[in-house]
Amino acid sequence: MQDADVLITVGSGGVGKTTVAATLALRAAMEGQGSMVCTIDPARRLANALGLEALGNKEAKIPDEAFAKAGLLPRASMHAMMLDMKRSWDDLVERRAPPDKREKILSNRFYQALSTALAGSQEYIAMEKMWELHEQGRYPLLVVDTPPTAHALDFLDAPNRILDFLDNDAAKWLLTPALAAGKFGLKLFNLGGSYVAKTISRFTGTETLQQLADFMLNITSLTESFRERAHQVRGLLQSPSTAFVLVTAPMPERLDEAVYFHTLLLQNKMRVAAVVVNRVHAPVPDALWGEVARLSGPLHAKLEQTLKENDRLAAQDAKGIERLRELCAPTPLVLVPRFELDVHDLKAVWETSRYLWGDATVEGVAPVR
Amino acid sequence: MIEALSDKRLLIVTGKGGVGKTTVAAALALDSARRGLRTLVCEVNTRERIAPLLGKPEAGAEVTSVEENLWAVNVRPEPAMREYALMVLKFESIYSAVFENRVVRYFLRFIPSLQELVLLGKILYHLKEKRPDGSFRFDRVIIDAPATGHAITFFSVPQVILDTVPPGAMATDAAWMRDFLVDRAMTAVVLVSLPEELPVNETLELHRQLSERVHVTSAAVVLNGFIPRRFDDAEKPSGLSPALQDVIRAHEVRAALSVSCQKTLSTLGLPVVPVPRIFTDEFGRGALEQVASHLTGAVRP
Repeated sequence: MQDADVLITVGSGGVGKTTVAATLALRAAMEGQGSMVCTIDPARRLANALGLEALGNKEAKIPDEAFAKAGLLPRASMHAMMLDMKRSWDDLVERRAPPDKREKILSNRFYQALSTALAGSQEYIAMEKMWELHEQGRYPLLVVDTPPTAHALDFLDAPNRILDFLDNDAAKWLLTPALAAGKFGLKLFNLGGSYVAKTISRFTGTETLQQLADFMLNITSLTESFRERAHQVRGLLQSPSTAFVLVTAPMPERLDEAVYFHTLLLQNKMRVAAVVVNRVHAPVPDALWGEVARLSGPLHAKLEQTLKENDRLAAQDAKGIERLRELCAPTPLVLVPRFELDVHDLKAVWETSRYLWGDATVEGVAPVR
Repeated sequence: MIEALSDKRLLIVTGKGGVGKTTVAAALALDSARRGLRTLVCEVNTRERIAPLLGKPEAGAEVTSVEENLWAVNVRPEPAMREYALMVLKFESIYSAVFENRVVRYFLRFIPSLQELVLLGKILYHLKEKRPDGSFRFDRVIIDAPATGHAITFFSVPQVILDTVPPGAMATDAAWMRDFLVDRAMTAVVLVSLPEELPVNETLELHRQLSERVHVTSAAVVLNGFIPRRFDDAEKPSGLSPALQDVIRAHEVRAALSVSCQKTLSTLGLPVVPVPRIFTDEFGRGALEQVASHLTGAVRP
C-alpha cells in the first residue's frame, strides 16, 4: 500500500469498508502524506466515522480540533468528501457540453433519470471524480470508497457502460439519418418502415423513444470526451500506483463474496494490495478457561457460557480466514479485531490503522505472512 | 407474527448491509407459511440463500415450491424481462423477433431503470395472480430487498418511470406498482437493524427516506443480534484476573448497547422486536427456526 497514490476500497455492505477507507487516509496524514478520502456510498457513513457533522460534495478539511480531541497530531492534512451525484453530473455537462446543447441536455427527462437513478451512473460519476482529483494532484494520497460488491462490479464497468451507451452501432444505425440531417425531433418511426420500432413502442409508449432519441442526439456531443475519459480511467485503475483494498468480514457469506471479487479484480488486471478481514473474534486464551474452571456457582456458569460463545465465534472466523487465505493467495491478509464499540471517531479509526500497518495483531489467529 | 404485519400482502425486508435481512425474510416466510398463508419469498438478483437456509436446493429464477405453503424465487433481470415482455406482447414469436434484436436490446438497456422495473414488476405481478377458483395464487409476498441506498432506488423506480416515461404500457404498470407500494393496507416495510451505533443511525435515516421519498410505510423494526444482560452488578467481583473482568465488561458493554439501541429505535414509534444473537457452528434451519420463534413472540429474550 505504501507506494500507491490511489487506493480504492471495495467489498460487500456492512463490513466496515468506509471505516477502512477513512483509516487509510488518516494513517497517511499522520505519517506526513496529505490525503483525501472520497465516498460514493449512498448510505452516509463517512462523516459519522470521521466525527464530522455532515459531508458535502465539496472537499472538506478534517478540522485540527477533531484530531486534537482524539489526541492525534497529523503531519499532513486530511480531507474528506461525499459525492453528490446529481450535482457532479450537472457540473460535468456544464463543463463539457457545447453551450447550445447544455440546456437541452439538462432539461431532458432522460438526463434527469440518468443523473439520479440510472444504475451505474453513480459509479461512473465516482470514476470521473477520482480522475479529476487525481489530475489536480493536490492530494498525495487519494482513497476512494465504493458501494457494496454487486455494485462495485458496476464501478469497474462504469466507463465502458457509458461508452456503450453513447457509442453503439445500434444507436448509430438508428440515429444516422437524423445526425446527417443535423436536426432534432427525429422521426424515429419513419426509419425503415419500422416494424421493430412500432413493437418497442407498444412496450414503452411512442413518446419515450422519441425523447430518448432526442437525448441521444444531444448527448452525443459528449461522446468524444466520455471516450477519452473512460480510457484514462481504465488506465488509472490499472496503473502500478493504484491499488485495491478488498474489505470483508469473517462471516461465510461475506467471505464467498470477497473471493469472487478478488478473482474479478485480478482478471481485470487490477492490483490488490491486501484483503482486510474486519471484526475478527480472537480465540479465548487457555488461561481464562483455567480460571473459569476454578470458579463455582452462577458466576461460573455464566462465564463459561460467555467464553463458549466467544470461542465459537473465534473458531468460525478462523475457519473462514484459513479458506480465504488459500483462495486469495498470494495477496496478503490483514486481520482487524472486533472492537468493543463501533468505530465512529478518529481515535478508533487510528486504533484500526495499527492493525492495518501491523503495529498490532489479532492474538491467537494465525499470523499474516 | 408481529401484529402490524399480520394482515399485509406485501412485506419488504430491508436494512444496512450485513444486518441479517435474508435471515429475517426467511424466518418471516417460514412463520407466514405455517400460519397457512400461501407465501412467496423473493430474493432480488443475488447469490441465493433462502432455500438453502431452509435446507432445500436453490430455487433459481423460477417460482419453486420449498415446502407446504412456501415458495421461493431469486428474481433475475433477463428472465423477468422476458416474462414481462411476453405479458405485453402475448406471442413468443414476436418476442424473439423483437426482443432478440440487437437494436432493441440496446434501447431497452438504456431506458432508465427498466431492469429494476421488470424485477419489481415480476415480484408484484405475483400478488395479482389468481388460481382457477379465483383466489390469489399467493396470499403474501415477502421481498428480501437490497440494502439501504439501493433499496430506496429500487422502490423509487415506479415513480422514476412515471416521471420519465410518457403514457404507455410501461407507465401504466409503473402506476399500478407505485399505488400498491404506497398502500398501507397492503404493504409494510420491516426494517432490520443491529445493536450498534452505525446500523441504528442508518435505520433511522432509512425509515425517514422511505417514508419521505418512496412514501412506503415501515411497520416494524427487527433488532437482530440482541445481547441480553447476563451479569448483574454483584457479579463484578474483584478476585478475577483483569482478562476475565474484561470478558464480563465486554459482554455487559454489548448488552447495554443493545438496550440503548432498542431505546433509540423505539423513537420511530414502531414496534421493535429484539432477536437475540444466535451462537451456532452452522447457521441453518435450526437457527432460522429460533429466529422465527422470536419474531412470532413465542420467546422473549
